[in-house]
Amino acid sequence: MTQTQDVLPNVPNQEQNISNLERTWRRGRGLIGWLSVTTHQAIGMRYIVTAFIMLCVGGIEALLMRIQLAKPNNTFLSADLYNQIFTTHGTTMMFLFAVPVMEGMAIYLVPLMCGTRNVAFPRLNAFGYWMFLGGVLFLYWGVFTGAAPDMGWFAYPPLSGPQFTPGKRTDVWAQMITFTEFSALCVATEIVVTILKMRAPGMSLNRIPLYVWSLLIQSFMVIFAMPAIVVASSFLLSDRTIGTHFVNPSEGGDPLLYQHIFWFFGHPEVYIIFIPALGFVSAIVSANARQHVFGYPAMVLSQIANGFIAFGLWVHHMFATGLPQIGEAFFTASSMMIAITSGVQIFCWIATLWTGRPRMTTALYFVYGFIAIFVLGGMTGVMLASVPLDLQVHDTYFVIAHFHYVLIGGAVFPLFGAFYHWFPKMTGRMMSERLGRWNFWVLFVGFNLTFFPMHILGLKGMPRRVYTYPPEVGWGFISQIATAGAFVIAIGGVMFLINVFRSRKSGAIAGNNPWDADSLEWATSSPPANYNFEYLPAATSRSPMWVPREERTFVTGLRTDRREVLVTTLMDAEPHHRYVLPGSSIWPFITAIAASITFVGSVFNPWYIISGSILIFVGLLGWFWPRRAAEIRDEA
Amino acid sequence: MTEPKTIDVSHLPPYDISNQAPLWWGQLLLAAIEGMMFCILIAAYLYVRLRYDVWPPPGDQFPHRLLPTLALIPLILSCIGTYWASEAAKKDDRAGMIKGLALNLVLAIVFFVIRLMDWYSLNFSYKADAFGTYLWAFLAVHTYDYVGDVIFTLVLFLLVVIGRHGPKVRLGVHVDSVVWYFLVIVWIPIYVAVYWGPTLMETQQ
Repeated sequence: MTQTQDVLPNVPNQEQNISNLERTWRRGRGLIGWLSVTTHQAIGMRYIVTAFIMLCVGGIEALLMRIQLAKPNNTFLSADLYNQIFTTHGTTMMFLFAVPVMEGMAIYLVPLMCGTRNVAFPRLNAFGYWMFLGGVLFLYWGVFTGAAPDMGWFAYPPLSGPQFTPGKRTDVWAQMITFTEFSALCVATEIVVTILKMRAPGMSLNRIPLYVWSLLIQSFMVIFAMPAIVVASSFLLSDRTIGTHFVNPSEGGDPLLYQHIFWFFGHPEVYIIFIPALGFVSAIVSANARQHVFGYPAMVLSQIANGFIAFGLWVHHMFATGLPQIGEAFFTASSMMIAITSGVQIFCWIATLWTGRPRMTTALYFVYGFIAIFVLGGMTGVMLASVPLDLQVHDTYFVIAHFHYVLIGGAVFPLFGAFYHWFPKMTGRMMSERLGRWNFWVLFVGFNLTFFPMHILGLKGMPRRVYTYPPEVGWGFISQIATAGAFVIAIGGVMFLINVFRSRKSGAIAGNNPWDADSLEWATSSPPANYNFEYLPAATSRSPMWVPREERTFVTGLRTDRREVLVTTLMDAEPHHRYVLPGSSIWPFITAIAASITFVGSVFNPWYIISGSILIFVGLLGWFWPRRAAEIRDEA
Repeated sequence: MTEPKTIDVSHLPPYDISNQAPLWWGQLLLAAIEGMMFCILIAAYLYVRLRYDVWPPPGDQFPHRLLPTLALIPLILSCIGTYWASEAAKKDDRAGMIKGLALNLVLAIVFFVIRLMDWYSLNFSYKADAFGTYLWAFLAVHTYDYVGDVIFTLVLFLLVVIGRHGPKVRLGVHVDSVVWYFLVIVWIPIYVAVYWGPTLMETQQ
């Protein structure tokens, strides 16, 4: 029973309130308790850890590929195994690492930054995590039983259709997508509602932290983009399992339609990964430059514009399919437009750092690394947006270089920065800055050593997804450099892990606000209590933590004997009513098991959709059944 | 030094059954997700239709219009029951909720029976060709959602009947209306695409 906030209002019965909160928000004990947890810090951490394990697994797959490509006519991996590994690498990194890790950070940070106690739908949150874990286990069950997908991470028909990929490999891929899209949609829904309805009083739309804005935009993108992949993967799966004719050309379906629908999801997907990273950058820049990010309205508007433009770009993945030229011209223009909105943000950060007194923390190093790498990746993006150049380098290593520059540079570097920035909040201890700087430089050098040569390989004509090449083509030396770089990246990754494990045990104690940052997550203890704040903070300015202590404002009068939170109005965040969040429950886990039986079973027998739905219904019934007297009686 | 200020919220209501409730917003987003899915399905249908000269392809019957058009009457009227129940939920009017939900359920089942009759009258299956695939997909996906929500409405109805209707169940009745309006509204463009699409998009031979 310790005080978590450094400033508290002077109200009676504080001790009593805190012990009530401790009791109300306690996590369950034992296995059942562990499976029933619904607090956002625990679920967020599970996402982050699971996704990080997937990053390591995907990284090992990348190393295997690089070993195979290090010299011509190498026989380290067979062609079939190589196909499985590059598909699993892409699938893992996109669906099981990049999106979930961003979601995990959001689940952890958004309720804290909004100044509330949990996400809006805690049980849905738990359910989303179990579905994600189901996707992980299903894909890797496939990998270890020889049913790993081998048709590339976007699974174009007719290659992925029933004639050319018999067996269960593609089905495993398509159904793994179903798991992860369920998870992503659950998270997006609860994040949007948390941000719109549960912000601290006074946190009007123009006071939301930029990171939270980025999550609001990202979540809306998930809501409008993920249904496309639901449709695409269901088309593919039902063509393969029950003989429909959506995308199977031999039966009157249309394979190009699959590409359209897939990329209508697939392009926004890239921004779904990348926009939260922009939020990390804003938070790190403002904390370390020790001032507001320059041009808040411009930042918010250009992120919103990013979100909209993202839905008008998908055809640039399909320039080689022979679409009408007028269409290609339109998509070239819209693809180049994204450089404007991204450029505005880069200049705003540079202006913030330029006019501030930047403190060179490891997190800020990663931001500088992000700016350098991402601008380079953006340049090749503008090049690829032009049709003639795209046709020339289509499906070559130039494309591989480009998207690793934008995705690793644009998302993973800010993510590492974010780990260094928020690690003290999540664990209560600082990470080593010295090792952190080594970590940054090793990753930065390793990254450029691996991926810069790939531009050249691509221009020399090396196609992607080939498992080997003859010596005469002269790709051997450059490939060797890339392979060496991949191992340097791996060393950087190991350094990060060492730093995490060492700092967790023996890092310096962080205190509530080690960086003197401005947003509300720093108002509480590190790590936060299950209920986050004893008295919910109010936001009296855009930087509530930079307001003098005596001018801070707190919410009182919430009941502490049940999980009560404050609902505020959408625009101005004025207090509207109190709202009781559900407590711990095993039912989200049971429902997730029922849904997993449905999804996995339907790969083998379509009737599982009907019988599994009955199981899901039973799960949902247990989930929503009004149990406690307070839920039944109409009491105040 | 002045004391930190406080905002006392103990006078605010402990729950609210209206469009201010987080659950209402969650349900709205769920409708947005499903709505987007149906939009993509319709777009895909139109895309495939343009690849064919003759639509429906030879051998498939032209879908009947009489039954599905008649079915729109109970479907649209069922919204009255939903509205009645959701307003009664705000006022904690048990009788109103029971009557509204009962009206909703009865009309929903009438629609469902007509849907099944219409579906059984089709002379092609989803395996026949692209036309069959899309028609069955529209019917199957909408029916799945529809049956799901009818079952949950039934559960809410039973909870109110046996008297276990506190604020949570009343909020459930209220937000259930969001899903129901969505299922009714989304059926209209699908109905047009499925039953009128072949005529409206006749290609000039």
